[in-house]
Amino acid sequence: MLNAFWVVVVGMAIVFASLLVLMLVMAGLGRIFKPREEKQKR
Amino acid sequence: MELLKELTGLFAIDWQTVVMLLIAGVLLYLGISRKVEPVLLVPIGTGVLLTNIPLSGLLEMGKDGAVLAEGVGLFALLKQFGIATELFPLLIFIGIGAMIDFGPFLQRPYTIFLGAAAQFGIFGTFFLVYWLGQGGLGLLPFDAYQAASIGIIGSADGPTSIYVSSILAPALMPAIAVAAYSYMALVPIIQPPIMKLMTTVAERKVRMTTSAADIPQRVKIIFPIATILVIGFLAPKATPLIGALMFGNLLRESGVVEQLSATAQNELANIVTILLGFTIGGMMTGAEFLQPWTIAIFIMGIVAFVLDTAGGLLLGKIMYVLSGKKVNPLIGAAGISAFPMSARVVQKVGLEADPYNHLLMHAAGANTAGQIASVTAGGAILVLIPRFFGG
Repeated sequence: MLNAFWVVVVGMAIVFASLLVLMLVMAGLGRIFKPREEKQKR
Repeated sequence: MELLKELTGLFAIDWQTVVMLLIAGVLLYLGISRKVEPVLLVPIGTGVLLTNIPLSGLLEMGKDGAVLAEGVGLFALLKQFGIATELFPLLIFIGIGAMIDFGPFLQRPYTIFLGAAAQFGIFGTFFLVYWLGQGGLGLLPFDAYQAASIGIIGSADGPTSIYVSSILAPALMPAIAVAAYSYMALVPIIQPPIMKLMTTVAERKVRMTTSAADIPQRVKIIFPIATILVIGFLAPKATPLIGALMFGNLLRESGVVEQLSATAQNELANIVTILLGFTIGGMMTGAEFLQPWTIAIFIMGIVAFVLDTAGGLLLGKIMYVLSGKKVNPLIGAAGISAFPMSARVVQKVGLEADPYNHLLMHAAGANTAGQIASVTAGGAILVLIPRFFGG
């Protein structure tokens, strides 16, 4: 059952970590490709 | 008399034949008369009907188990080329990807974590089934591979459920597929009681600000490519699923292949749905389906959906606290991959608490995030089970 426990913990960690990286990548791309009007306002 | 036994199926009828033909009738009734998921239940019901006619030969393999040989049955052929190769679920995912607008999610990227939390049902159910099975109490006959295949019902995603279970426990796949699709249709019944149990009226009334920011088209184009790279490198076994899903989405968002996007959303999705449903039904013979463990699969399937909903809601409540009561915890329930049904359920439950509180777009963000999360979880399962349990 210890192995099953590790599957749960590592599995959820993989899911969260993967999606965190994806979110950071998309946040970065969102800043790079922000529309010009918004950048000019800043 | 012997000649009659060989020529007609009448003498080969047993109780399993009768029960399965009744099940076929129920599926067809639900699909046609009650319009419950007809796109799936009509092909599945017809497949069940055909395959349970004795002596039909629809599941027969050729000589020495050959597939491309004279006398191979239709369902044997479709099973080998579409299910055993995982081709059908991947093709369907191209169509699904072309149908999904990830805009609401991209406007609210934090909802990605709600999608992640709502996959707890996959892992929690795996643990529970294995503990009840060969890993602990021995009440169920399931090993780790089978427990994981049952747990994947919690992905609330037909293609992912079929893909993972056809690799880890092919014998259970038909029952798992029927359970997954059935519970996806039953989300409006399964989720609301859990949502009301785990949240207070005050929490359900929280109004969330609507984001007016448009997502630049370039971001929408880069998103599927970035997702393939990120998820592919971090959870490589998920690459076929996420690749197919994001390929479909790229067809949609690129804006230069509208005819391909339209084909993916319509003709491709419909053709593969016909073949997939028909084949799944065709694999449901009495001998395989009418086993005690089939009931266990259906019961644990509900457990998976309950744990999914609870996991998403729990993180939703944490976000509610950490955000200073600005996030409505209900949207956590939409983190399961049953798109768009779950988002609509969140909208409905939210409106019951406050008739002017529209949560749909926020829930849609979590719902589409859940699609990515469920595929990632499926990939994680495919790596972890052989790693920790051998094979």
